[in-house]
Amino acid sequence: MHQSNESNFAGCLVQRLGARSCLIEAATGETLPGHDIASRITDFAAGLLSQGLRPRDRILISCSLTAASALAYLGAMYAGLIPVPVDERLLSASAELLLAKSQAKAVWSGKGIHGSRARGGALEIAGLFDVHPIGIFPPAACSGDDLAALMPTSGSTGVPRLVMVSHGNLRANTEAIIQSQGLGSDERAMLIMPVSYCFGASVLHTHLYQGGGVVFDPRFMFPDKVLHAMTRYGCTTFAGVPFVYNMLLRRSNLRSIPLPGLRRFLQAGGALAPEKIREICEIVPTAEFLVMYGQTEATARISCFAAKDAPEKLGSAGRPLHNLELRIADEDGRELPNGEVGEIQVQGPSVCGGYSDEPEPTRRKFRDGWLRTGDFACRDDEGYLWIKGRAGEFVKIRGLRVSLGEVEARVAAMPGVYECAVVGVEHPDAGEAVAIFVVPENETQVLAQEVRRALPPQWTCVSVNVVRQLPRTVDGKIERPQLQMAHE
Amino acid sequence: MSAEELLPKVRTAFQSTFDIDPQTITPDTTPNDVPAWDSMGHVTLASSLEQAFGLTFDVDDLMAMENVREICKVVQSKLDRVQCAPVQ
Repeated sequence: MHQSNESNFAGCLVQRLGARSCLIEAATGETLPGHDIASRITDFAAGLLSQGLRPRDRILISCSLTAASALAYLGAMYAGLIPVPVDERLLSASAELLLAKSQAKAVWSGKGIHGSRARGGALEIAGLFDVHPIGIFPPAACSGDDLAALMPTSGSTGVPRLVMVSHGNLRANTEAIIQSQGLGSDERAMLIMPVSYCFGASVLHTHLYQGGGVVFDPRFMFPDKVLHAMTRYGCTTFAGVPFVYNMLLRRSNLRSIPLPGLRRFLQAGGALAPEKIREICEIVPTAEFLVMYGQTEATARISCFAAKDAPEKLGSAGRPLHNLELRIADEDGRELPNGEVGEIQVQGPSVCGGYSDEPEPTRRKFRDGWLRTGDFACRDDEGYLWIKGRAGEFVKIRGLRVSLGEVEARVAAMPGVYECAVVGVEHPDAGEAVAIFVVPENETQVLAQEVRRALPPQWTCVSVNVVRQLPRTVDGKIERPQLQMAHE
Repeated sequence: MSAEELLPKVRTAFQSTFDIDPQTITPDTTPNDVPAWDSMGHVTLASSLEQAFGLTFDVDDLMAMENVREICKVVQSKLDRVQCAPVQ
């Protein structure tokens, strides 16, 4: 495969930086213009090599919502090293396991790793380098197939799998996402997710690729601050998981804080009730709402749904990105006709090479050139995907397959429900049944009976538990195993 | 309830929410000092505080809770209002 400077994805981003490019820290207002982004990335790359690290060495990047973690991630990639971006909380809790799993030669942190957790001969690097390489420092030459990063899978609380993402994967997915979102050359994203989450990384990649900017804000615990920062810094894109949109609707002043520059809301990371999407669109009619479905194993995004293009399809995950082939298949890999539920399988230039050092899971998931997503869906005659749930997230009630996601969607659509989660449990008569956990919109509501009444009789329900909150992973996804334990 | 009585109870809420040593919590503690105090953590913390003090916070209360001192202020003003409310 041809090796060149242009194939290096970080190098490509540096090259595309323009007058509008910037990285901004919303809490302090610190702004890094395009030429400074380029020099910080190349300085960091040169600094890593001056420490004795070599191309293809792996480096754990402790990610928080700062420009520095994004620069370290891109700088390592620019130098030809393999960045392994990990949420800083996960890294500080499981440093040794992550070091062993990634075989990283170094650990980078914005603050320095506390204590002596980074053992095993790994080099600890804190902060960015201030070396100025003499002359032009080009990105490490590589081919599109070369490994660019190891991205942790999301949705798990333990040590994640590391997905092998190539420079070509990043470029292909970035370009397809840009097309699906209609991103122009004057965009600026508000990022409240770290780049260790593939959704966060995709927002960083797409906006820098277009010569735009990214604003980092770790203050989403105070959503109004983030909303005000979006206005102050002229953000055109906002991205979040369902939890974030529920917060905006019920725990922020979204209704009274104007967002004149906002062009789009991006939502991924699980299903958000169509009623909530409609509500957001009513409150901010000037911005469009894009739902995206994806997986780390497919770099980041797989399909996109624009609510304004097909309001009647609200609740669907849209159509596949233009450079992906998608099929709904049965267990033997046979394509199913429209309307039938099967596994989503995808093929294309953004499907990754597998998991690092895990041949068996790689073989199961990446087979015959198709990525087996483990997500179940059907496709309608217009090509829209309707996701029913993940493998293992179905129950068989009296022989009838019921998707936990479908039950969740039904309950979440009820008035007075803030959030909900459903788990499958054993049942003496029905074989399996569902247990429902509901967070009410306000404490005074008596919801349990109403929820029970709203369910069709064939969905045997053992309990409706009204709770104050749902357990979540660092990426904001619901942790079903914990609920399962809570039920038992 | 006095400020001296308030802080220990607030510390207990921090301990149960973030699984940290309550003695590390001072009036000046902010989300920057507690890694798990993110948006999800804030909601959980607010729930623990609501439970501990028998209160319900609104959007602006949550927004005002920028550090432990402000949390105590919000709780105090809520408690005062509860006490002043006429008996039904």
